[in-house]
Amino acid sequence: MTCRVAITGLGVIAPLGNSVDALFTDLIAGRSGIRRLTSARSERLRSPIGAPADFDSAALFSPIRLRMLDRVSQLALLAAGQAIADARLTFASESRERCGVFVGTSMGGVVTTDEAYHSMYGERSERVQPLCVVAAMNNAPAAWIGIDHGLKGPNLTYSTACSSSAVALGEAASRIRCGEVDVMLAGGAEAPLTYGVLRAWEAMRTLATPDPIDPATSCRPFSHNRSGLVIGEGAAFVVLEEWQHARARGAHIHAEFSGYGLTSDVAHITRPTVEGQGTAMRAALRSAQLDPGRIDYINAHGTATSQNDAVETAAIKDVFGERARAIPVSSTKSMHGHLLGAAGALEFVISVVALERGTVPPTMHLNVPDPACDLDYVPEHARSGLPLRAVMSNSFAFGGTNAVLIAEAVDDAHGPRF
Amino acid sequence: MSTLQTLQDILVREYRLTHEQVGPEAVLSTLGLDSLSVLELMFKIEDRFLLKIADNTPTDLVTVSDVVRYIDGLLALQAPVGTAAQTSVRASM
Repeated sequence: MTCRVAITGLGVIAPLGNSVDALFTDLIAGRSGIRRLTSARSERLRSPIGAPADFDSAALFSPIRLRMLDRVSQLALLAAGQAIADARLTFASESRERCGVFVGTSMGGVVTTDEAYHSMYGERSERVQPLCVVAAMNNAPAAWIGIDHGLKGPNLTYSTACSSSAVALGEAASRIRCGEVDVMLAGGAEAPLTYGVLRAWEAMRTLATPDPIDPATSCRPFSHNRSGLVIGEGAAFVVLEEWQHARARGAHIHAEFSGYGLTSDVAHITRPTVEGQGTAMRAALRSAQLDPGRIDYINAHGTATSQNDAVETAAIKDVFGERARAIPVSSTKSMHGHLLGAAGALEFVISVVALERGTVPPTMHLNVPDPACDLDYVPEHARSGLPLRAVMSNSFAFGGTNAVLIAEAVDDAHGPRF
Repeated sequence: MSTLQTLQDILVREYRLTHEQVGPEAVLSTLGLDSLSVLELMFKIEDRFLLKIADNTPTDLVTVSDVVRYIDGLLALQAPVGTAAQTSVRASM
């Protein structure tokens, strides 16, 4: 049995906006959510920039609840709630054992962990918050979403570094495809803007040098003067639904989730390979039963590290051949930063909205061409009025787990795909 | 301020509850404080009353007045060593 997968709900809490509309409006306008950080101890950082999410947790959660919720779970609950509302799902008539939650996160409840370590090792306190374990555990975001919405099917958390939530989406779609479940809430959440985490990333020499005049322009994917990534926080969720289930309840279908490719580099722990990324794109195309010629937009992994952007460019050329230069490829990380484990879900949501609206967001701050990066990166300005039929979202990761997702426009005349 | 008033003040400030909700007979679980939340409340009590609470906090604290009795019991035990005990608690924080 192979079922089609409908995307019926989208939700985001992101550096640029706390709704899909607000986020996309900012992306199309080329606005950046990257800024100088003012959080505790950020003055001790060499690269004190990031892309924080901005929401009023005290107004949205009760104080007792907040004590149990690390920031990563707050972000996840809010974005998942939006996706469910967008899908107009109440779960009143669903079989709840056939509804599940898959979440990707790289660092889990690290705000809680960071604070506990600071208290114990820094301040030499013997007291540890009794809710530390349940707040910090990596599966807390998924567990809370399941509890809040009464979803009794599979509840899993994937941690494959920067491809975590792309994997969560792909695995969720696979469960629907094989008929095990009807509805999956899938996404990612990350809240990594703590001093401890940022110092660790700095130590790897992977973070961008802050632009001295305008910190918002510090992340420059595919540009010759790129200097590294900028870390962001946020969450993005989608409601994935078995096609007939969605049609039977009259749900609006944003797009079809049609392809998922998953491969491993098995090379260096951080250095990407053209082969690994390329085979993931090919696997996604096979899964969607699409020729490479059918992809109309690629949301690149595009981290703005020297390594990734050149390797990803070469991999796209390897897969798409001569046509590679005709496909708009953009890295929206130039504006929302790198959300690590949440990046794949956020960028897939952006890709789906681009598909629906026929508008491709730009790669910002790309102003010095790099001979090793010679594709059409949609520099500086969004492009609208495009007849997009199929879009691809790339997610690659330390550890080498490559995940590529494909969404296609809804075409009722198309009939069943499988 | 009595022990009850101080405890009520903690509950109102830290948990955004109303004074009406936190009467002596109010049940902690009804207020939304489960057993783990009560353990966390003990930290607030330690700080406010300058007490040292052992790891084996009783688990039979059901109402607000149960907690008041527990605090008063600790105060009676720890008050005689007063300044010394308080200094050591502070130093460890």
